[in-house]
Amino acid sequence: MMNGTPPLIEAIGLAKHFGGIFAVDHLDFEVHAGELVGLIGPNGSGKTTTINLLTGHLRIDGGGVRVRGQPVAGLPASGFAGLGVGRTFQITQLFSRMSVLENMLVPGLARPHAHKTHVTREARRHLEFLGLAALESLAAKNLSGGQQKLLELGRALMLNPALLFLDEPFAGVNPYLRDEIIRFVQTLHEEGRTFVIVDHDLDAIQRLVHRLVVMSRGKKIADGPLASVRENQDVIKAYSGT
Amino acid sequence: MLDYILIQAANGLVIGVMFALIATGLTIIFSILKIVNFAHGEIYMMGGYFGYYVITLLGVPPFPAVLVAMAITFLFSIGLERGLLTPLYSPRIERKADYGILITFGLSVFLRNIAIILFGPFPLRPPSFIEGSLAVFGGLMISYDRLVAAGGGLLLLVALIWFLNRTVWGQALNAVSQSRESASIVGINSERMYMLAFGVGGALAGGAGALIAPIYSLSPSMGLVPDTQAFVIVILGGLGSVSGTIIAALLLGISQNLFIALLPDPSRGPSYANAFGLFIMMLVLLFRPTGIFGRHAVAMD
Amino acid sequence: MRAPDLALVAVLALLAAAFPFLVNAYWLHVMIIAMMFAIMAASWSLLAGHAGQFSFGHMGFVSVGGYTAGLLAHFLGLPLPLGMLAGVLAAALVGCIIGWTCLRMSGPYLAIFTMAFSEVLRITIVTEVEVTGGAGGMSVPQLFHARTDLPYYYLILALLVVSVGGMMLVVASRWGLFFRAIRENEQAAAAAGVKVTRFRILAFAIASSLAGLAGTFYAPYIGILTPDIGSQDQMGLVVAMAIVGGMESLPGAVAGAISVEFLIQALRSYGQWRLVLFGALLLFTMRFARNGLLAPAWLRLRSLAAPRAAALAKEAVR
Repeated sequence: MMNGTPPLIEAIGLAKHFGGIFAVDHLDFEVHAGELVGLIGPNGSGKTTTINLLTGHLRIDGGGVRVRGQPVAGLPASGFAGLGVGRTFQITQLFSRMSVLENMLVPGLARPHAHKTHVTREARRHLEFLGLAALESLAAKNLSGGQQKLLELGRALMLNPALLFLDEPFAGVNPYLRDEIIRFVQTLHEEGRTFVIVDHDLDAIQRLVHRLVVMSRGKKIADGPLASVRENQDVIKAYSGT
Repeated sequence: MLDYILIQAANGLVIGVMFALIATGLTIIFSILKIVNFAHGEIYMMGGYFGYYVITLLGVPPFPAVLVAMAITFLFSIGLERGLLTPLYSPRIERKADYGILITFGLSVFLRNIAIILFGPFPLRPPSFIEGSLAVFGGLMISYDRLVAAGGGLLLLVALIWFLNRTVWGQALNAVSQSRESASIVGINSERMYMLAFGVGGALAGGAGALIAPIYSLSPSMGLVPDTQAFVIVILGGLGSVSGTIIAALLLGISQNLFIALLPDPSRGPSYANAFGLFIMMLVLLFRPTGIFGRHAVAMD
Repeated sequence: MRAPDLALVAVLALLAAAFPFLVNAYWLHVMIIAMMFAIMAASWSLLAGHAGQFSFGHMGFVSVGGYTAGLLAHFLGLPLPLGMLAGVLAAALVGCIIGWTCLRMSGPYLAIFTMAFSEVLRITIVTEVEVTGGAGGMSVPQLFHARTDLPYYYLILALLVVSVGGMMLVVASRWGLFFRAIRENEQAAAAAGVKVTRFRILAFAIASSLAGLAGTFYAPYIGILTPDIGSQDQMGLVVAMAIVGGMESLPGAVAGAISVEFLIQALRSYGQWRLVLFGALLLFTMRFARNGLLAPAWLRLRSLAAPRAAALAKEAVR
């Protein structure tokens, strides 16, 4: 994995504070192409803030971010999307009064030199994959909660992303849909996409990821293969709240 | 020259108190209903006319007439709230922010035009509270009406602060402004609080209208300037903060009048006075898109 | 476009071309004013309805266009067509600046900011009497030396068709899609790769340059330009037109402008009451028919004529 190619994304001494408190406290963290990483930690440990910093949704207070070795200081969120870094949100964020298909077309057509017929075909293919094809002309707000989550994933796929951050994909999801999402992520990973998944559902995370990163109070307290992190005393301490 | 500046500062204080009444009303409505009331200046205008007709048609003496005008404006505002704003509370209605902006903007146009029909386009002036002027240091004269307006306005502000902090109703309003959900859990009927907030906010503006009428006369378009100035104040003072609003109102009133006094070209002063506040507000919004003390952007859906 | 729509467009075009010969000079004048307001209402509905930016400063851009053309003609003797072009460019430029300054604002803050912009502009025009003529207004040379309003009619008709047609193309294009995506959810639009800053400013620039265009026509047509055109009452009129028509439909805004203007003129014997009427119409529409009156009524009408097409049409307009 470390054969000279730079990491897909890399945080170096990344920092963000709200008021006087560091939400992300000088974090070093990198993801290589082809990985499937779980990012876990207690509530308020800075996971979502990290995603927001690594996708341009929050302004960085210290340190830097590199995408494929290139520094991307000050890049807006749309710029990260353009570099193939996609994301979903903790609370699903859709274009509610637009149709399912239109939701998919937005990122597709925002890509440079995008052609409408081509993008539409691609959108339908993804909708087919996610089982939403029959709903394409429905307004997004009329979908069920689970369907909305899938649509948000589909919309991120329309960026043709190399890297996808999923923020709590399993929160508030029924067991059947949970299995579906696991299956989708596995398939997409096999196709060559890299994932960073934040969730509290440790069972689902363990079924999916190969590497686990644990955060507590803005700091990274463990990073490594699944099995070794599970044994880590710091992690157990952070979760038991002592 | 110094005399002139002093008199302008005193005038500014009077105007500042009036601004404070109007703007605290706007801020109370915002903190409870989460809308900016674009018709607030027109409610102030209606309050002024209510006071005028209470005096001229019913023969009520000027001082109690202010209270009667406030009571009428209170009921009038609640009527508007019931008729137009209830969709804001319905879970089925989407894009509440847009609805709030457009419905109150439409209301302002409507009230301005219907006032022309009901009250006529010409300025009306109710009788003075007390005729004459008070001579203060040197040759300075301040009309008793201005003193009454400032004193009455301050009394109303004190009463408002007492109401918000010391009464059950005020505390219930405060609870709703912090969190609608928690307030409803402890059994506060939030719909009634919306009515109360819109009524109280309207009554404060109405009181200002009735107090200022003998000084500046009444006209259907009198609400336009205070309306924009009230926006300036609530943006400066932070939407939702009553004390910030009062301080900002006094500062704006005084600095605006000093601006008039100190501008080298006296013919332009009064005209640019209104632009002065607006310009400062635009600068503030540029650097703090939600005002100086504002906490978050307005989001309701 | 389906065949019935083409037929409708053809009928409308014929009607528009023949209109001056069907009515007297007074109603021709009303129609010219109505079409000018239609440009203002449609461009406002592009900005507010499609791009979700509720600007109450739209009439400020009408003033920018009108006064630029008027002042250039007055002081530099610039030919009016050139002045009009300059007016449109000036409005576009100011639109870019205002759009850029209010990038971080939304909802009521943006409404207040833009209202403040247009009020500051209006106060400046009123005060700088030596330059602008103040509240009394400034005279602007005529564009045509004809005895009838006929050339003005065809000019404004052409401007209306080009500007509304252009905006409809924008709305149907990916730009329109991005406008709506930003309106629905700015954060998600950015995550989807939409350059939010660029498209927010673009929406402002398009809408304000067309508002400026209406202003550059208004000045020479009326012959006198007063700061009143930039007042909040005029803004209210334009908002009412757009909302009655259906805020997210550009043809709706045009229909709204024309019907409200004709209604106001038809009721002129009722004096001030007609102005109350449009305020009431605005309130009624917002309160009880948020999608407007005309655009939904048109869809209903079409669904009676062709039930199968209706479902599709409903989906398209929403």
